[in-house]
Amino acid sequence: MTESARAPEQRGALDLAGLRRRRWTGDLAFRAILSALTVAITVVLGLMMIESFISASPVYQKFGIIGFVTGSEWAPSFTIYGAWPFIYGTLVTSFLGLLIAVPISVLIALLLTDLAPARLRGPLGIAVDLLAAVPSVVYGLWGLLVLVPAMRPLEQGIAGTLGRVVPFFGPPTPGSSYFAAGVILAIMIVPIVSAVTREVFASTPRIQREAVLALGGTRWDVARTVTLPIGRAGLLAAVVLGLGRAIGETIAVTLVIGNSDNIGKSIFSPGFTLASVIANEFNEATETLHPEALIALGTVLLVVSVIVNAVAIGIRNRFTGGSRSGF
Amino acid sequence: MASDGAAVFAPTGGARRFRANLLVVLAVVALLLALIPLIAVFGYVFVNGIRSLLSLDFLTQDPPADLSATGGGVRNALVGTLEMTGLASVIAVPIGLGVAIFAIEVGGGLARAARFLIDVLSGLPSIVVGIFVYATVVVTQGHFSGFAGSLALAIVMLPVVTVSAEEILRLTPRPIAEGARALGLARWRAILSVFVPIGLSGIVTGVLLGVSRAIGETAPLIFTSLGNNFFTLDLNQPMQALPLLIYRNALNSAYASARDRAFGAALLLILIVFGFNLVGRWLTARRRLAGSRR
Repeated sequence: MTESARAPEQRGALDLAGLRRRRWTGDLAFRAILSALTVAITVVLGLMMIESFISASPVYQKFGIIGFVTGSEWAPSFTIYGAWPFIYGTLVTSFLGLLIAVPISVLIALLLTDLAPARLRGPLGIAVDLLAAVPSVVYGLWGLLVLVPAMRPLEQGIAGTLGRVVPFFGPPTPGSSYFAAGVILAIMIVPIVSAVTREVFASTPRIQREAVLALGGTRWDVARTVTLPIGRAGLLAAVVLGLGRAIGETIAVTLVIGNSDNIGKSIFSPGFTLASVIANEFNEATETLHPEALIALGTVLLVVSVIVNAVAIGIRNRFTGGSRSGF
Repeated sequence: MASDGAAVFAPTGGARRFRANLLVVLAVVALLLALIPLIAVFGYVFVNGIRSLLSLDFLTQDPPADLSATGGGVRNALVGTLEMTGLASVIAVPIGLGVAIFAIEVGGGLARAARFLIDVLSGLPSIVVGIFVYATVVVTQGHFSGFAGSLALAIVMLPVVTVSAEEILRLTPRPIAEGARALGLARWRAILSVFVPIGLSGIVTGVLLGVSRAIGETAPLIFTSLGNNFFTLDLNQPMQALPLLIYRNALNSAYASARDRAFGAALLLILIVFGFNLVGRWLTARRRLAGSRR
């Protein structure tokens, strides 16, 4: 603070009007800067989304939105682009990932809220959270070199028994497949699903849980009568958030899904998800409209994940009464 | 009495206890199922990567032009990762903090719109962010660049920083907020010299978590910084990053040299990411502890 700014106080007479004016100008400037920043970031992000749709528009014009989304053939060398094989791959792998990850995540959340000794909850929670911190490409590297070969016997076993009756589980089993992608997705979404579920379970009324215990209920009774019923809506939000994560996961999936433009009949066939085909083909996209078609796949991914996340946020807001953190 | 209570919940004592114990067993199995991959991934990467990482050349030399050749290091990728993540933080932290303060102090329609966009962004696949930057910056500039990569990483970081900063600033204790007003501080002074310092460790945690997320991202860089086999500090050039280098070498993992390089770089990347992550968590834990003592 400069000498002149302190002067009125030292004289003992407060220059109230001056203070108020300075305060007002300062606040106004502060507000203006923040507003400009917020407007700028909103406009920039909005423009980026719009620009992506514009870049993709030649493809939408040629095939139509419905035609592009439902087209089951993707043949860049013939300038034929249909997104369905990748939408199918995204659906199959995400569903399989959730199928494996959700029960595991719910059990972990129960363990860390109700079951485990209080001393262990912190460290175990951190260990689960660290799973989320491992970069996608590292999971991919490990998945490609360790997980895929290790799962081969399991895949062969299923394909040799169940696969004889149900073609969806049939051979051949080359290793890299929708199945491998689903398993790696499950590993990657367990932390997010269990973290949100844990938050939800922890916010169920403690007094009710203790009442059940006081009445002679077991921890299973607590879970069955209090934690699970009250936490149901929040659990749904966690599942939907996990789905959003699974849909967008790119590099790990790209490394283990086997990269095929066609729809694989079996879950053990190689394929592509929306995200992985973009990552895999983008740098070699030299055919007519190929880059535009990949950007168009990106806009499909954008629309799907906005819808999925809006649903998740909606459920969570209803559950937590608008508070973001659940407090 | 005990039997009355039991009747509310389940028919017989033995079956109840069995089910309760079964639940615990199942939960422990689930936890193990989740932690086995963590241990397996870290263990495998450590065992296969430590030999590369222990040699100084790995950090001070660039990779050979041919991925299948042995030797060389990952200097270009390490420097590229640090430079791009650094610039991304410089972009994302002030904007994230600004939007968070705006949302709390001003509010209204604009704040809601910005917050909605940030919420959308936080759920957006990072590869889509890469496409955004490609369609605008890369196409306009006509070439891939480290700058475009930084921008993509900044957009990935932005929601993490904004959401955590907003949460922390909302938690400013009411007496302190009122005290600041009572002292006649202008709102901007109150925010910058009272609220932000109080929430500083929380804000730093958000930044560190954002950095640890951005540093591991591969997908957005494929369309923006592209990767570069040579060392460069020039943000106007295509730039290599650790995740990109791991990805390219993993695609060529038939070669032992590429595999070794990928594992060395993966171990380096994991150590960096875990470092940021654990420091961030430690700061949060310390704050909680201090808060509970108060």
